[in-house]
Amino acid sequence: MTSTLLDDRRDACRALKALSKKYRLEVGAYGMDAIRTVLAGDRPDSEIVGYALDTLANICSPQVFTEEERPELGHECLLHVGEQFTEIFLKQSDGVSLVLSFLEEYDFKVRWPALKLLSALATNRLRDIQEIILVSPMGVSKLMDLLGDSREVVRNDTLLLLIQLTKGNANIQKIVAFENAFDRLFDIITEEGYSDGGIIVEDCLLLMLNLLRNNTSNQNFFKEGSYIQKLGPMFDLPQESNEDALWSPQKVSNIHCVLQVVRALVSPGSPGQVTLTCQYLLMAAGIVQALCRILMASGVPVDVLTEAICTVGESIRGNSANQEFFSTVLAPFTPPKEAIVVLLMSMVNEKQPFVLRCAVVYCFQCYLFKNETIQAQLVQTLLPSTTEVSNVTCGQLLCSGLFSHDSVSNWFSSVCLSHALIENPVQKEQLLRVLLAATAGNPPVSLLHQASLLLQQCGKVQSKVGLLMLLSTWLSHCPMAVKQFLSIPTAIPYLTTQAGSNERDENEELVQGLCAFLMGICVLFNNDSVASYTKENLRHLIGNRVGRENFVSKLSEVSRHEQYSKAAKQPQPRAANSEELLLDHEFCKLFKALEGMIIKAVTSSDGGPGGGGSGVVARYKDLIRDQDRRLAETQATVLRLQQEGAALESRLEEAAAHVARLTDENMLLRAQVGSCFNVYLFTIDKT
Amino acid sequence: MSYAYLFKYIIIGDTGVGKSCLLLQFTDKRFQPVHDLTIGVEFGARMITIDNKLIKLQIWDTAGQEAFRSITRSYYRGAAGALLVYDITRRETFNHLTTWLEDARQHSNSNMVIMLIGNKSDLESRREVKKEEGDAFAREHGLIFMETSARTAANVEEAFINTAKEIYEKIQEGVFDINNEANGIKIGPQHSPSNASLPPGSQSSSPSSGCC
Ligand SMILES: Nc1nc2c(ncn2[C@@H]2O[C@H](COP(=O)(O)OP(=O)(O)OP(=O)(O)O)[C@@H](O)[C@H]2O)c(=O)[nH]1
Ligand SMILES: [Mg+2]
Repeated sequence: MTSTLLDDRRDACRALKALSKKYRLEVGAYGMDAIRTVLAGDRPDSEIVGYALDTLANICSPQVFTEEERPELGHECLLHVGEQFTEIFLKQSDGVSLVLSFLEEYDFKVRWPALKLLSALATNRLRDIQEIILVSPMGVSKLMDLLGDSREVVRNDTLLLLIQLTKGNANIQKIVAFENAFDRLFDIITEEGYSDGGIIVEDCLLLMLNLLRNNTSNQNFFKEGSYIQKLGPMFDLPQESNEDALWSPQKVSNIHCVLQVVRALVSPGSPGQVTLTCQYLLMAAGIVQALCRILMASGVPVDVLTEAICTVGESIRGNSANQEFFSTVLAPFTPPKEAIVVLLMSMVNEKQPFVLRCAVVYCFQCYLFKNETIQAQLVQTLLPSTTEVSNVTCGQLLCSGLFSHDSVSNWFSSVCLSHALIENPVQKEQLLRVLLAATAGNPPVSLLHQASLLLQQCGKVQSKVGLLMLLSTWLSHCPMAVKQFLSIPTAIPYLTTQAGSNERDENEELVQGLCAFLMGICVLFNNDSVASYTKENLRHLIGNRVGRENFVSKLSEVSRHEQYSKAAKQPQPRAANSEELLLDHEFCKLFKALEGMIIKAVTSSDGGPGGGGSGVVARYKDLIRDQDRRLAETQATVLRLQQEGAALESRLEEAAAHVARLTDENMLLRAQVGSCFNVYLFTIDKT
Repeated sequence: MSYAYLFKYIIIGDTGVGKSCLLLQFTDKRFQPVHDLTIGVEFGARMITIDNKLIKLQIWDTAGQEAFRSITRSYYRGAAGALLVYDITRRETFNHLTTWLEDARQHSNSNMVIMLIGNKSDLESRREVKKEEGDAFAREHGLIFMETSARTAANVEEAFINTAKEIYEKIQEGVFDINNEANGIKIGPQHSPSNASLPPGSQSSSPSSGCC
């Protein structure tokens, strides 16, 4: 290898390459320096450079070759050989720049092994390689040029290398985008036939995903460059003539990837402005519509369907125009049904795959998110109405889910209903008017009452957690709901027992914590209109029956639960299995906002002072005591006035509720009279 | 909205001279009083009209801090225009111009149009670099020159638009190879060079609204 004759060195290199798999350790240990010398010195001779690069690629390869397996060496100890040689190679300065410079050689014998070597190095030491490439002049540009290489292997391997290099490095992602990556990728995707294309399409989409995910600058560039429209043809699905051909495994992967690309653009984690514009553009490009067609098509594989449902959700989340569009989407049934109803039907159907049901819940949450109109529409479907409804409604489905024997359905329905109430005081009060027909002979019961009874009767943690989250959301910031809840005779005794219980089981403790939270809400938003459970009474009850410290520690069980931090992270419910489904993202936000206030309201005590002191201190103490007394008197007056005010207010509310109930009954009666009248007319007609 | 041409710009210059503010003023018509250090680069875009043609500007605002210098270099090659910015209230930012210019000339394509900008012209009382000095530097190095204020928006539109005009003229003269995207110029989707018909009703040289 150190021979002065080029021919000799070339032969030596060829031999080294031949040995570099089987005797990787030896070749690496004794040959590394010599190979580097060849790379630096014999650049004009493409053959020898090719051998040298190939040899290095083998030595540094992250994979274990079958040729090198030997009985005396364990497989374990071969695993890290490539990594160690990579480290040695990186120690010598400008090794990587040298390899990068060989990418400019057009000769396949040189360019291809250089790519393979870079890929091996990147697999073993990604961070180091990323940093080196960033500081080598035109490092990324050189790679980008290779995407246009007419030899498919080179192009494809470049793509794979770029996927590696863009992982988690925003700077490289931006340079790659600047170098016209999106144009190149769409060129390839178009050429390969969009979603019908092979694995190369999937690779293009994976790179696109790396460039866009969590990268606001690139997301901006993507939307400004009109690339969203270019995604459109990816969703052109032929009519269902031959479903097997339609959903080949590769097609499933391609669609799955492009759905993730869309989600990267409208992710709830991005700055609101980018998300909103992208949502509009997705609608304008017809992509939301195309996604809805996938949702309603038959024969779509579950994982595509699941991802498509989530994608629709995020494309409409918090965007009232898109949400309204979604509310008008119809499923092709006879007679046509609203798409959202069809989705909810799957959600409360035990036989549907769990992941799919989770996706629907998420989509439904997105549908309601920050949209008072849609929230009102949902609650409206539960209220007694004049118009005869023959079709099943969202409200009915959620109610049936709430009282189903399936705890997952209970949880989903509770959470969905609670999302109709978030930051919406009007609907919290509206929902109080919902009456459910009880068993024959008994008067109808309010939904709130029924939900509380269910909470007390059901044995499953998941259902209880769901109901407690619903009740907490409902009662928070709504004194009228608190009042109705406190009037249920068993409600507070049940919560007191739960919060005071000492049963030790992780999930039981969560239930106890949530019960404490709900009690706390009853204290915070109490207008003292239920005599037995005024603010003060409840505080005493907590002090005596639960214990203040115990109460606070029960509360902390909620935020300490492992599902809490998971749910708090992102809005999409992510549970590997149904048992993990416990806490909801929006509920966690509510909990975080109120926990401190509740602790303060419950623990800020009227406890007396203690200890003694010298003369001056004693005088001051007297003074303070005196002031204290006067303060207490004033406070008492204020309290009395407040209570009087509250009592008046609640009488007013009662009257208002009464009027509302009368109106409902009136409407019902009118409807009945109307139908009687029709029958009457009909009979007259006949006679 | 389809454009006749797309130009890629970069904005370079020392940290704190007001590069990000210039971009924000140009794209969003806002001023940001606190220094929000740019990390790496940030992207912005706007449509303008020149000679009755819609031109899309894609702008990469780079970080001025020394630590990001090598990253910034990756953006020279693909840019058609560069705004080289200094701060008229800090002489050292003017003194560094030679280094910036060397860097730009070394890594960019030779036709890149460079606009020299003396920013913060609203701070007359704290001026350290005379306007004549900027003028002289620009003349010596063959650059276009303007003083701007990202705060009052004075000359901000003009800086971006005049750069585009210069590029546009170079295209008309045939200096730029518009088919080579590495020059930072793209022809719009529906426009071939022979068929660059005017969109009806568009006005000459007036910026269109920011969103597109
Ligand atoms: N008075 C005045 N202040 C300005 C003007 N332009 C920018 N500033 C201020 O100068 C500071 C720096 O502005 P930036 O635009 O963030 O600076 P930059 O050049 O992007 O800095 P880097 O991102 O670190 O490279 C900010 O506090 C701005 O408010 C201007 O025209 N007039
Ligand atoms: Mg900046």
